[in-house]
Amino acid sequence: MLKRLAIRWLQPALALAALGGAVALPADAHGPTRQKVIETVKIAAPASVVWAKVRNFDALKDWHPAVEASAADKGNAEGSERKVALKGGGALVETLERYDDAQMRYSYRAKDGGALPVTNYTSTISVSGEGNATTVEWRGAFYRGYPNNDPPPDKNDEAAVKAVTGMYQSGLANLKKLVEGK
Amino acid sequence: MEPPAARDYTATPEGHEEAPSWPWGRRPLRSGRALAGAWLMVVAMPGAAAPFAYITNQGSNDVSVIDLALHQVVATVAVGHAPAGVVAASRAGKVFVSNPDSKTISVIDMRTQRVVGTLPAGSGPVGIDAAPDGTRLFVADWYANRVLAFDTATGTALPSIDVGRAPAGVAVDTSGATVYVAERDDDSVAAIDVATSRVRGRVKVGTHPFALLVDERRERLYALNVVSNDISVIDTRRLEVIATVKVGKAPYGAALTRDGALLYVTNQHDDSVSVVDAERLEAVRTLPGFGYPEGVAAHADRVYVVNWMDDDVSVLDAASGRTLTRIATGKNSRGFGAFIGAPLSP
Repeated sequence: MLKRLAIRWLQPALALAALGGAVALPADAHGPTRQKVIETVKIAAPASVVWAKVRNFDALKDWHPAVEASAADKGNAEGSERKVALKGGGALVETLERYDDAQMRYSYRAKDGGALPVTNYTSTISVSGEGNATTVEWRGAFYRGYPNNDPPPDKNDEAAVKAVTGMYQSGLANLKKLVEGK
Repeated sequence: MEPPAARDYTATPEGHEEAPSWPWGRRPLRSGRALAGAWLMVVAMPGAAAPFAYITNQGSNDVSVIDLALHQVVATVAVGHAPAGVVAASRAGKVFVSNPDSKTISVIDMRTQRVVGTLPAGSGPVGIDAAPDGTRLFVADWYANRVLAFDTATGTALPSIDVGRAPAGVAVDTSGATVYVAERDDDSVAAIDVATSRVRGRVKVGTHPFALLVDERRERLYALNVVSNDISVIDTRRLEVIATVKVGKAPYGAALTRDGALLYVTNQHDDSVSVVDAERLEAVRTLPGFGYPEGVAAHADRVYVVNWMDDDVSVLDAASGRTLTRIATGKNSRGFGAFIGAPLSP
């Protein structure tokens, strides 16, 4: 009992120490660390309606405002390869890794991020909800574009997170707009 | 190869983030020893030391300490930058954390949950394990293709061992005589003879082995191959692969249940955990609902799975695989290694 109390008492102090440490972090050279982005949007529509909009792997162009084309060679079959062409130039090649119609989710990956400054990129989009309240979650795991120490600014961790965040946010915002008709 | 310079545990860390986290500011342990002694009397009462899980949080540069009796985070310990690997060396009473970005090992005292030292550790320390008696520490040095060795009592660097490309997971066998290392980019596992500091054998496994786990009862080693999505089962006496077990996508961590019957394997890219029958050597169940699961460890009748994407730890019933609860941790939790321990006398 004494021990538990003591440890609880110590906790705020440890948290403070952690904070102090974070401020003093050096921006030194180091190897890559896996990053992640999780973005969600709430849509006032049944989940089945939202899923119908995004369920096809090759339908990205129909709901993502930055995507010009997104043809997939094997539809929603695992291993299907999607060639994404961005408006204004840039491309990505993504492979469907997992597809679950019942759970309303699919996952895909890209070894090379193409237009995105990332490598070893994996992403999952999922739809869930009850009644007229649906949540769409889009999440990605990836490494920055530059694999070694001292990345140039356009290929560092921040650039990678920013690019993926931007892609997810603009896609989800547009999906909401399309489904809700606003 | 020249070993890195020796470093006393009480030495001041080079920087910044690894300053000792005494509540009353920076204080070298050397001068705080009397105080630390008093502290030990408080926390090391007989029967009071519940095991702890030490979860490395790569995104928040700290370690969440979970009291397994309470299933609560009881301390958050600031360590080096981007901590990944961890070993709770109960016999040494210390936890060793690899910080690939600051190229150091943080040493946490299990009794006080404080950082008591920082060791320089090559070019990119990743996998880490300790000998069962707690006297030696072994660390994979990813960019330099070698395994670093340390004396845990003094923090002194011992001669390093050159190995294959991109050494990742490290596992010391029960006798402490052999250290296994996964040579990821060579698709092999090397066996290092500790007495001579030399590789005494090597075995080809699947594609890109990362984590390793010793199965003491069966004299086996499991190598988890993240690209071929399987486990190479190695007979450690002959250093030969005797079976290959298919699991989910990107298997990253493995733990045996206390009875040794089941092998729990995290599948990063499937957000799932495969439960493998260790006798029959086949996956008997796939548990869904995890978030890019990474580290996994077993204690008593529980299995603890670290969810990198969700920033938490799932607590499972080992027999049924049922999730009992989830415990929030820091950011981008990894727990790569044997992260559960309780301080024991050496």
